[in-house]
Amino acid sequence: MTTHTPALQANMMVPDSTFEPGMQVYTMKLGMWVFLLSEVMFFTSLIGSYIILRFAHPDHFAQPGVVLNVPLTAFNTFFLICSSVTMVKAFAAIQHGDQRWLKLWLLATILIGSMFVGIQVVEYNALAHEGFVPGAAEYSAVGREAFKAGLAETAPVVGGPLYGATFYTMTGFHGVHVTIGVICLIFVLIRALRGHYIQLDHRGVELIGLYWHFVDLVWIILFTIVYLI
Amino acid sequence: MSTTAMAARHETAAEHHHELGFIRTYIFSTDHKMIAKQFLLASLFFLLVGGILAAGVRWQLGFPGRPIPLIGGLFSDTTAPGGIVLPEFYNAMVTMHATFMIFFAIMPLLVGVWGNYLIPLQIGAPDMAFPRLNMFSFWVSVPAGIIMLAGFFVEGGHAGAGWTAYAPLSTNPEYSGVRMGQVLWLVSLIILGFSSLTGAVNYITTVLNMRAPGMTWFRMPLPVWALFITSWLVLLAIPILTGGLIMLLFDQTIGTGFFAPATDGEPLLWQHVFWYFGHPEVYILILPAMGLVSEVISNRSRKPIFGYHSMVLAIIAIAFLGWIVWGHHMFQSGMNPLLGTTFMITTIIIAVPSSIKVFNWLGTLWRGDLHFDTPMLHAIAFVSMFIIGGLSGMFMASAPVDIFLHDTYYIVAHIHYVLFGGSLFGIFAGITYWFPKMFGRMFSPRLGKVHFWLTFVSYNLVFFPMHNLGLKGHMRRIYDPNQYEFLQPLQPLNTFITISAFVLIAGQLIFAFAFFWSMYKGKEAPQNPWKANTLEWTAAPTPPPHDNFPGGTPVVYRGPYEYSSPESTDDFLPQDVPPDRVLRPEIPREPSPLPTGD
Amino acid sequence: MTDTQHTTPGAGHAEGEHHEAPYLLIWAVLLVLTLAEVGYAFLSLPKFWLALGLIVMAIWKALLVTLYYMHLRFEPKRLWVLATAPLPLVVILIAAVLTEF
Repeated sequence: MTTHTPALQANMMVPDSTFEPGMQVYTMKLGMWVFLLSEVMFFTSLIGSYIILRFAHPDHFAQPGVVLNVPLTAFNTFFLICSSVTMVKAFAAIQHGDQRWLKLWLLATILIGSMFVGIQVVEYNALAHEGFVPGAAEYSAVGREAFKAGLAETAPVVGGPLYGATFYTMTGFHGVHVTIGVICLIFVLIRALRGHYIQLDHRGVELIGLYWHFVDLVWIILFTIVYLI
Repeated sequence: MSTTAMAARHETAAEHHHELGFIRTYIFSTDHKMIAKQFLLASLFFLLVGGILAAGVRWQLGFPGRPIPLIGGLFSDTTAPGGIVLPEFYNAMVTMHATFMIFFAIMPLLVGVWGNYLIPLQIGAPDMAFPRLNMFSFWVSVPAGIIMLAGFFVEGGHAGAGWTAYAPLSTNPEYSGVRMGQVLWLVSLIILGFSSLTGAVNYITTVLNMRAPGMTWFRMPLPVWALFITSWLVLLAIPILTGGLIMLLFDQTIGTGFFAPATDGEPLLWQHVFWYFGHPEVYILILPAMGLVSEVISNRSRKPIFGYHSMVLAIIAIAFLGWIVWGHHMFQSGMNPLLGTTFMITTIIIAVPSSIKVFNWLGTLWRGDLHFDTPMLHAIAFVSMFIIGGLSGMFMASAPVDIFLHDTYYIVAHIHYVLFGGSLFGIFAGITYWFPKMFGRMFSPRLGKVHFWLTFVSYNLVFFPMHNLGLKGHMRRIYDPNQYEFLQPLQPLNTFITISAFVLIAGQLIFAFAFFWSMYKGKEAPQNPWKANTLEWTAAPTPPPHDNFPGGTPVVYRGPYEYSSPESTDDFLPQDVPPDRVLRPEIPREPSPLPTGD
Repeated sequence: MTDTQHTTPGAGHAEGEHHEAPYLLIWAVLLVLTLAEVGYAFLSLPKFWLALGLIVMAIWKALLVTLYYMHLRFEPKRLWVLATAPLPLVVILIAAVLTEF
């Protein structure tokens, strides 16, 4: 049962010719790009503060891999990149009018995206267990090696509270954005199942695609500067 | 009271394809004009709240330690026992006066009201790019307002760390005694950010992609330019604040140590993050008013705006430069002196585009056919008061001078000259000018002028002396200046300011009365009472129906400031009149040739 | 594999915005860069060169995602201007405040 209403113009994926030529992209896409610019500034606020605090107090932070689980997160990073591929494949599918592969690739994206969040939650749990927490008073991380060797009580604390505070804030808000993305993807999939998207009008797929790629992009930056530097 | 006016107002439901009920027309409307009016009512309410808080602050400064008259008994023991204001409550009133005024009154009045009302109408669009997002933008601001009001009623009282919420006063409840109030302040502003942000996305997209045919960039009226550029500032600056607020909220609630020295946090980081938002914010608070005033001055002088292109470029220049001046709020913070000098230079430079605008307004007025209606009075007041505010800004821009002026009443004077003398007079100009368009009736000219003069005079009596207070060392946000011997002689001046302030605040009741009276009893407005050129007057009925232009999308042939054009016998030439329909003056015949000579 | 795979970059169709990029090729490059980053991070180099190399690789990946997956490469140039608008602001905030430390 399609809920797609007849379009005023034949192809909704091109700019509306009623008005002056503007940005030469259709309005909803423009709106999404404009919104994503604000998201850049939001993450700048958090990531910028992290960079500044790191320069101000390097002793609060640790070498890569000492506290954080780099192999697991590298895998998770790769995973998220895969979901970007499945997303763009979904978009390419509907560009060719392929309804079946639109739905399949969307489903794949949802599953991978959810796995990403799941792995992050698992990671948060493990880190918190090891004493790596956002609160300053409770911060007592000793590093993965020391923790595994059973030296949680006796080994010296690695890094300082700013490490935990910045880590959880940045990755946490990224995780929130991924979660919102997954929820939106589910809405898009439901609409796709109802036959809402056609070759001439699949704006919703392109829009959620832009958002999803952006979330991936932020993670590419985050993974590098939080886990690897 | 005629049936046509009534019909015009209820056109909203009838003209639309299907009947919209009361809820969809007045409560959950997606029509940009209705959303603008919702913002108008809500923000006028918060303007009143901010004004009452100002009265509270002024009472303590004017009559220190004396019980608040009449309503003193209504206050709790934690705020003003026996009507005598406590220091903590004083700090909360100072903080909340600024917070409500900036975030819940001026910003929504300038951006929420005029962005919503004018942008589609002046560019020839039927509505915003995203009408439902627009509705969300208004309604998400309502819980934000409620939460902010709630802060007054929690244990510990409302946030008292100033609207700038400097750490560590704002991070550590043990310093201020305030816990929940600060948390609510933070949560409220984080939520309000979504309102501003979604609004900005809408305005930017609409202006970029939905201009009527012929409405090229340099044929857009200045209010649209100003609101467009302002929306970019909102889009890019508000998220910075949101990030900072979140970190501060975490400091308060889950014990992270971003800004608190005890955990190696950096109070200066908060200041940088806050002011990186804060300075673009003040341009958000003035640019739309400049746009509104340009429109009124041009129309009421029956002259094109002087230097239209430079006006646009000045707006853009102010917006650009506004990103690199934020440190002038922090000259005394102990920041890197090299950075401080950089900010001093950029701040002095930013005076240039603002001055260009001032000269252009004066150039527009010069030898114009001036009509001193209420909007024009407010607009001229804007220009003159903005000049004073700008001049005091020059003193503050100089870091060595700022050493003495920072955190004194000189700053308070400057702020209020630009925010009240500037923004608020601009808002009054806008409201009285577009009132007929919005409500189908003229704003009472007599009440409007009484309100103007009372406001203008008492406002100057309140804020001009504050320059003196500041120069004599009277610091701001202080509960009891008399604890310092050198400030005791200033008490009479403080009392004088307080009395003037009460007159000023009371005078606004005239505006409130006039506003509602005119809505129902004002003289019915013709379609284009100001003989304006812009599309909202010429192509849309008064008030406009759903989808704005019953004749379809207008076509634009010229710029918006063709007043007293030689091309037309009329003293105005609307944007959408086709060239062959212009009332042309008779073409004078060639002078007959002289008789043949040598 | 699906039949929707076009490997010619920028191959437009007559009626519209059908620009396709070699999505799987880019995916492979992203994978390689990710592995390279992880390997690089554990080399014994001075901190400055470590950070610089990692940031270059991260930006490279980010550009690939932006230009090809978000299709910015095939959008009108005006959108490029819009999309890059916040970047100077990002640099200004971080650079200016870093002078404090």
